[in-house]
Amino acid sequence: MAGSAGGGDGEPEFQIAPMIDVLLVLLIFFMSITTAQVLKVDKSIELPISANALKKDSQRAEAIVNVKWDGAKKKAAYTMDDRAFADLAELGKALAAAKKTGEAKIAKGPNPTFRCVIRGDRDATALSVSRAMNTAAEAGISDISFSAVNRD
Amino acid sequence: MKRFDPTAGNDMHLGFQIAPMIDVVFVIMLFFMVMAGAVKVERELNTKLPGTAETSGPTEFVDEIIINISETGEVTLNDEPMDAPADKQLPQLRGTLLRLKQASDAAKAPTLVTVISEPEAKYARTIDVLDALAVAQIENVTFTVGEEE
Repeated sequence: MAGSAGGGDGEPEFQIAPMIDVLLVLLIFFMSITTAQVLKVDKSIELPISANALKKDSQRAEAIVNVKWDGAKKKAAYTMDDRAFADLAELGKALAAAKKTGEAKIAKGPNPTFRCVIRGDRDATALSVSRAMNTAAEAGISDISFSAVNRD
Repeated sequence: MKRFDPTAGNDMHLGFQIAPMIDVVFVIMLFFMVMAGAVKVERELNTKLPGTAETSGPTEFVDEIIINISETGEVTLNDEPMDAPADKQLPQLRGTLLRLKQASDAAKAPTLVTVISEPEAKYARTIDVLDALAVAQIENVTFTVGEEE
């Protein structure tokens, strides 16, 4: 057979086309994982470091509350979906509304409960983060997750 | 002196050069491979807020572990001081929590942990403690602030 291995006549040639195919596939793979992971990190908040935290479950229905810390004013600023909340009662209302819409997704999907993810700045005080947590509790959310990064 | 004539090069063949392309692709791939290892990934530490549960039968009470975090970063487990305030790894706390978890698992009892932080304590210190709890695989964790301002 012409294409069989072990033919003593012809020298095995280095095939450039399949090598380029493999290289491009590897390149696209590394490009996609790098960019997808970098996009998730919000640069405005310096998250605390936790090397042993769990991998983020992106399948779950969740509301993300950002707790930014102003070191000069010693004050926390709360944002959710790019909307700033000076009054925590307003944040509570927004969380309750998010829970209502999120629970509709829970009924369809495998997510056990709706949760609130708190992305707190590492310089923030425990009280400022606790206030966000209490607001989530008042909105009826008992499942709270804290965001952290794997390395500095 | 011979002048450059762009129309004169009929015999010169400017074909697609595969070798430099492979060089460039290799360099780009190496860059993304290195970046993939050094990338910052956002992770999560889960807690559950305490709530009320309706029960018809008798309820079994379990021992609760209380971890206090002071404003200076001192960590105490059931009023017993653990590690230095500057120690982020908290090896003593980790070891104690691992032993407690093993003892609870052997007794087939759940391990309940409440982290109580002082209001002005750093949030990063709370995350250090939650990280130690994640190492011990303790899942029933509640975080609260000791006293409101």
